[in-house]
Amino acid sequence: MSIFEYNGSALVAMVGKNCFAIASDRRLGVQLQTIATDFQKIYRIHNKLFIGLAGLATDAQTLYQRLVFRNKLYHLREERDMKPETFASLVSAVLYEKRFGPYFCQPVIAGLGDDDKPFICTMDSIGAKELAKDFVVAGTASESLYGACESMFKPDMEAEELFETISQALISAVDRDCLSGWGGHVYLVTPTEVTERILKGRMD
Amino acid sequence: MPKQQANWSPYDNNGGTCVAIAGADYCVIAADTRMSTGYSILTRDYSKIIQLADKSVMASSGFQADVRALQKVLAARHLLYQHQHNKQMSCPAMAQLLSNTLYFKRFFPYYSFNVLGGLDSEGKCKGKGCVFTYDAVGSYERVGYSAQGSGATLITPFLDNQLKSPSPLLLPAKDAVTPLSEIEAIDLVKTCFASATERDIYTGDKVEMLVLNASGIRQEFMELRKD
Repeated sequence: MSIFEYNGSALVAMVGKNCFAIASDRRLGVQLQTIATDFQKIYRIHNKLFIGLAGLATDAQTLYQRLVFRNKLYHLREERDMKPETFASLVSAVLYEKRFGPYFCQPVIAGLGDDDKPFICTMDSIGAKELAKDFVVAGTASESLYGACESMFKPDMEAEELFETISQALISAVDRDCLSGWGGHVYLVTPTEVTERILKGRMD
Repeated sequence: MPKQQANWSPYDNNGGTCVAIAGADYCVIAADTRMSTGYSILTRDYSKIIQLADKSVMASSGFQADVRALQKVLAARHLLYQHQHNKQMSCPAMAQLLSNTLYFKRFFPYYSFNVLGGLDSEGKCKGKGCVFTYDAVGSYERVGYSAQGSGATLITPFLDNQLKSPSPLLLPAKDAVTPLSEIEAIDLVKTCFASATERDIYTGDKVEMLVLNASGIRQEFMELRKD
């Protein structure tokens, strides 16, 4: 049994017109047992930068703490927020430091860069970046998410339509994965506001 | 000397994806036409679909040598049935035969992931679409839609979302067939294959679709990405 499948997770980020959405499931399990149904997998770095961490929960939490530390240092030195592209490179470097004893996490990074241009990327557990223009997925439900997103995604969706699309894709995908589910957590980010919504899904 | 493990396997996976959707008076069965081995393509033009009876069509992905052998066995058994009963096998009857044939080789299975589609021919359900889905050893279930093969994990959640079949556990038993029209169902199948082709390396080249309805059986092809 893979270490990446120990806790279970589903993460997806999608690009819209001058906005992005990032969503996760809410289950925390220990193999087949569900421990929590309100577990947070997406973290806010600043108002225009979010990171979701799939994979082993303990490594996700530790990695998040390290990244917050590095971001705060950056903020003190540079006196400004980090750009998403820079943050992605930071995450990649932090992961590669542990090349021969990695964090068992797959991050999904989403943010608004210069001129509020949406940016998304994912990477593997040792920091290989994958930039995408449309959507990125991670977690135990990733294959299902690929299928659902590929069929439902359209470029340049407005905020409300993007929210609908990402929610439908997430719920359909996690309903076919035993290790993720118990609802969804969706963040919809535009240049002016951040909306956080909880989705109700199958509770199994 | 420590125990040696076999390093030759009788099985291979030739990839591919199959989908079937049941409608009120039609059934769509589709499969891509790519046959692969490892990371290579053997051919871009291989049919995974076979018509077993006038109202039963089977699509199978997995190890095509086993699929071929299975098709031969079923065709022979159907011929025998016709000789003995002077009629074609109904789709539910063929479904049971397929299940039994697969379980017969329980301890050296056919590496074949099948979907059987057709039109029902009994009583109230006459002419209604039916789809049966199988695992490699013959466990089967009648459903409103199904996907099997390498692209199944990509397609199934999308079909769940679009078709929302009621649970087979509900009482009174709810109809599993989709209210979509034939044209809409075919469009849906084309979308599924286009999406699966993008993300699954073993799916692509062409999709072959067979549509069964009261007027007979029709075949349609659609080009897919060849990379």
